[in-house]
Amino acid sequence: MSGETQTAAAAIQAVAAGCGAPAGGAPVADAGNQAIVQGKVTKGGAPVPVGYARLLNAGGDFVAEVPLGEDGGFRFFAAPGNWTVRVLAPGGISADLGVSAATGEISEFEVAV
Amino acid sequence: MSRSDVLVDADWVEAHRDDPGVVLVEVDEDTSAYDKGHIRGAVKIDWKKDLQDPVRRDFVDRAGFEALLSERGISNDDTVILYGGNNNWFAAYAYWYFKLYGHQNVKLLDGGRKKWELDSRELVTEVPQRAATSYKAQEQDSSIRAFRDEVVAAIGNKNLIDVRSPDEFAGRLLAPAHLPQEQAQRGGHVPTARNVPWSKAAEDDGTFKSDDALRELYSGAGVDFGTDTIAYCRIGERSAHTWFVMHELLGQPNVKNYDGSWTEYGSLVGVPIELGEGS
Repeated sequence: MSGETQTAAAAIQAVAAGCGAPAGGAPVADAGNQAIVQGKVTKGGAPVPVGYARLLNAGGDFVAEVPLGEDGGFRFFAAPGNWTVRVLAPGGISADLGVSAATGEISEFEVAV
Repeated sequence: MSRSDVLVDADWVEAHRDDPGVVLVEVDEDTSAYDKGHIRGAVKIDWKKDLQDPVRRDFVDRAGFEALLSERGISNDDTVILYGGNNNWFAAYAYWYFKLYGHQNVKLLDGGRKKWELDSRELVTEVPQRAATSYKAQEQDSSIRAFRDEVVAAIGNKNLIDVRSPDEFAGRLLAPAHLPQEQAQRGGHVPTARNVPWSKAAEDDGTFKSDDALRELYSGAGVDFGTDTIAYCRIGERSAHTWFVMHELLGQPNVKNYDGSWTEYGSLVGVPIELGEGS
């Protein structure tokens, strides 16, 4: 499980979002009306570039999934409330982290596996 | 129809990928995933650039599909093995598309790219060179594609399965949670639709659940296996995955994918919309 850190603000990339999400999640064009959950997956302090992050709702049901980026990053555009991020990585690694999201905020987490 | 007619596993792919007449095709939501690494021998289809009309909101037409498969070196009698990320989401969409244009022998790699990666199997960046073919497509098979008027007529008469997440179904989200929430149309769902999120048909590793578990999933949500079914989502891709489950795995005879889905229905003037958790 995690070293859990949360910061309200993070760098906002002014890149237009595409139709399909790339590895690591779609870029943020405007966080103003979004409830963003993002973070990095690390192992022994180093990024985990191969793996998947899944977003589960408060009932434990799957909502979305992205492959991890080269830097171990993931990003979801959630609704306000509580969510679980589940990380899957080669070697049978699985880790869950409870997170909360709020409109207009980027909630950022580190998941150590 | 049995699972072996429509699914293969990773061991099968490793044993047969060099067989003549077998073509591996990767189709990903993240269209750059292939370029970073793919199963040796696989060619790429880009769901957006290759499968969508660049001007109208529709698929490439029959001639366009013929040109695409000919250029990729795929023949009419080839066995096409599709795979991709995220529970084979876009690979299942491509599967439906191949069936729409009449390709006979097409299967999914169970678990797709995710299971392959989680099992630490080999990925390469070398792009295979396949000689061009002269592919001939059939007319679109209208028995597996639903249009908006059929969806309105199905309210209260057929199974309507909304396969989006519960938050999209209720109208709280307008897009999957890994994409920006930027659609302009109304939120909610088609009245009488049952909400069975597409992803419930798959295990965490992306493989399909057993037939018994799948039947229980849909019947438990109120789907009547004795009635015709239309599945929809936001843009018709997740619902292609559910179409695969209902039509190809469970053998239901009359199942259609409504590819216009919520981005069309939620923008129509005058059609009924239901909000909340559903009836």
